[in-house]
Amino acid sequence: MVVVGRNGTGKSTLLKTLAGLLPPKSGSVNLGGASVEAMRPRQRARRLAFVSSTPPRGTALTVRDVMELALEAGGHPVEAIRVDQAMQSGGVDQWAQMALDTLSDGMAQRVMLARAAAQSDSLILLDEPTAFLDVVGRQEVMADVGQWREAGKTVVLATHDLDAVHESGWADRWMVMRPPSEGGAFLPEEAFTSDAAKALLMGKD
Amino acid sequence: MKAHWSLPLLGAAMLVLFVVGLFSGPAHLEWSEEWAALQGRGGETAGTIMWQLRLPRLVTAALSGAALGLAGLLMQTFFRNPLAGPGVLGVSSGATLGVALVALGGASMGSVSGTGELGPQVVGALIGGGAVMALLGLVMGRFRSRTALLIFGLMVGYLAGALVTVLQAGAEAGALQAFVHWGMGSFAHAGWASCTIMLCALTPAIFWSWKASNSLDMWTMGALTAKTMGVDERTLSWSALGTAGILAALVTAWCGPVAFLGLATPHLVRAAGVRGRHSTMLWPVVLTGATVALLADLVVRLAGVPLNAVLSLVGAPVVLMLIVGRGRIFSKFRAQ
Repeated sequence: MVVVGRNGTGKSTLLKTLAGLLPPKSGSVNLGGASVEAMRPRQRARRLAFVSSTPPRGTALTVRDVMELALEAGGHPVEAIRVDQAMQSGGVDQWAQMALDTLSDGMAQRVMLARAAAQSDSLILLDEPTAFLDVVGRQEVMADVGQWREAGKTVVLATHDLDAVHESGWADRWMVMRPPSEGGAFLPEEAFTSDAAKALLMGKD
Repeated sequence: MKAHWSLPLLGAAMLVLFVVGLFSGPAHLEWSEEWAALQGRGGETAGTIMWQLRLPRLVTAALSGAALGLAGLLMQTFFRNPLAGPGVLGVSSGATLGVALVALGGASMGSVSGTGELGPQVVGALIGGGAVMALLGLVMGRFRSRTALLIFGLMVGYLAGALVTVLQAGAEAGALQAFVHWGMGSFAHAGWASCTIMLCALTPAIFWSWKASNSLDMWTMGALTAKTMGVDERTLSWSALGTAGILAALVTAWCGPVAFLGLATPHLVRAAGVRGRHSTMLWPVVLTGATVALLADLVVRLAGVPLNAVLSLVGAPVVLMLIVGRGRIFSKFRAQ
């Protein structure tokens, strides 16, 4: 599912609430029948993974370290084979021994995506993952997401990079965030397109 | 926990410093006398010097260095800030204030060399440090960012320092001199009782740090990431700050406000190439802190310069060289 909207309409807030990082003001977020907010952090880490828009800075952990931590967070056995696999499918294996604080933002973000995929088999939440990336970086992120979708994972992606989503062509469901004055959040029918989203956001609907 | 190449090296260095420390000092004893005293034979004076003065002093130095190094590591990780040290919590400032109230406010600051008793100044330090920790605990929930908490700790430290200055201004010469002397830091005023207490605090601290290594590692990637990877922010905050605070308070209580070790020890370890997972860094930091403290104590005894002066005179240039030489390490440390 792709969550789009202009700046300030609450995309990040929505994703953080889904991840259990913020309490909902009303109602609840349920994953498999259990409230996400009520879950203990370790339980929640096994059910979902979250990637924030800012890549980590100032951490001396190597890519391999990060993947080991991700496997542990997700409740998977931390074996060398699984770590290697996770790095390979995330396309970050060539940096395995490099510390995150020596990587560029784009590289670090890819590592975070690979980390999320290693942590969660089922649900991955991405909060504007392409925000700090260049053209190539954005394409790589979209390719990763497409891969996950094919592997059967559920992905919720908040972005204002409609062009990247359009090019990748994999958006199944949409959610358009609008301020209450413009009608509030809008969950259109299945056959929605990125062009329609663009038009909606630019107020031509 | 895999054994790390640096550990045998540090262990050997500590052993050497320990032995050198045991067999050197202002009292002019023959080596044979010292050796005899260690074995339980020999004269009473020699025995007292070895067992009540030198040995506790060395043990105190090692334990204090280890405690401060660990506290520094926890603070730098928790605040994601390489400039953090146990001092930023304001705990050692609070402990100093406690001692100032006792020493400058009335009770005489008698020498407590070699006894490690819970004299009035020690009680004052523990109460002062404890008060600051209680204050931190109260406000911790209210701060949304780590930086705000850091600033709070710093400001509490400044306030405590201001009150100490006021007390100093009104104190009489003898008490003032004793207090200033205390403020220069020393491992000589502790005894077996204090060593035992410090060991009882350091052991669970190391144990907790080891168990929490993964959580601490995740924390370095950012609070949001860490929380969604299973880190309980409240537990980590209380544990990390509580551990560092207690270690800082205890060291300050018996050794005075020891400068530099908390902040610099993790950096020394990182400069040696030991970085990354906390499980990798933990023991090197603990042992490096102990080694540096032992070395500093040796210099104190041979050169007669106060502890804090030795630590800062040697330590600050070393850290400067590290920053200049390895600017790369610090360039990616952006405040979060």
